[in-house]
Amino acid sequence: MPDTSRAFVKASVVYLCLGAILGALMLINRWIPLGQVAGLVRVSHVEMLVVGWLTQLILGVAWWLFPPLKLGLRGDAPQSVRRGQAQRGSEPLFWATFLCLNAGVLLRAIFDPLYSLTRIGPFSVLSGVSGLFLFAAALAFVANMWGRVRELGRG
Amino acid sequence: MPPIARTYVKAAFLYFVAAFVIAALMMLDRWLDFSRWLKLVYLSQLHLLLVGWLTQLAIGVAYWIFPRFLEEQDPQPRGSDALAWGVLICLNLGLLLRFLVEPFYLMGPQSWLAVLMTLSGVLQALAALGFGLLIWGRIRPMEAKK
Repeated sequence: MPDTSRAFVKASVVYLCLGAILGALMLINRWIPLGQVAGLVRVSHVEMLVVGWLTQLILGVAWWLFPPLKLGLRGDAPQSVRRGQAQRGSEPLFWATFLCLNAGVLLRAIFDPLYSLTRIGPFSVLSGVSGLFLFAAALAFVANMWGRVRELGRG
Repeated sequence: MPPIARTYVKAAFLYFVAAFVIAALMMLDRWLDFSRWLKLVYLSQLHLLLVGWLTQLAIGVAYWIFPRFLEEQDPQPRGSDALAWGVLICLNLGLLLRFLVEPFYLMGPQSWLAVLMTLSGVLQALAALGFGLLIWGRIRPMEAKK
């Protein structure tokens, strides 16, 4: 498993644990009142499990296992243009996907409940900006992986 | 596919079918209005899909395909079997408990139902932590083929 995928998968496992703990706190709150915050973390719980855990795990495993890009030969050289990790696509773009996705999840998970608790305007803006980060992450991932959705064994 | 992974995947398939059956009944109920229970099962049905189906499938497949431990690291190539079974049991007990109890809790919140809901949450959180523990060491580079 390449470093890039390992970062995605490890982050996704951390979100699974955090999201499940938040879910447990929400259920415990029905029996033992834990205060206002326990009722405000529903968005964080959903965001961490659906985007942080499931989506991020899928992206990491897809980067690891999807068919590699075609080798492609330069007209003037017998050497393959792409080798090794480069056959997975652009690694910097994949790291950008990682940063955007996690910035998006963390901004939403932290600032949505903080805004509900405090009603401080900038928190709402930060929570809203998370959507742009997630959009950028999705766009970067699809652009990077598009060419790898192909038949195996053809170059 | 090892037996534990097969159990995860088969359980995930069952939740997939069950969740869609319940969803179909919920849709019919809007029209025929035949059960109060179906109006209260929305959240549990969502959890059957997201936890029982998607998360359980992801856990089962990860347990199956992630790089295995080297023999000198751990004699069990996929980590502790006991922990893997423990995660499976906690996840499914927690999920089923929630599914069975939540509609009744929503009809009339009583403290013993709240205790069972708490237990279901704790079981699922334990399953998540157990999976983290089980898989963390296997998120590693593959060794080069000899």
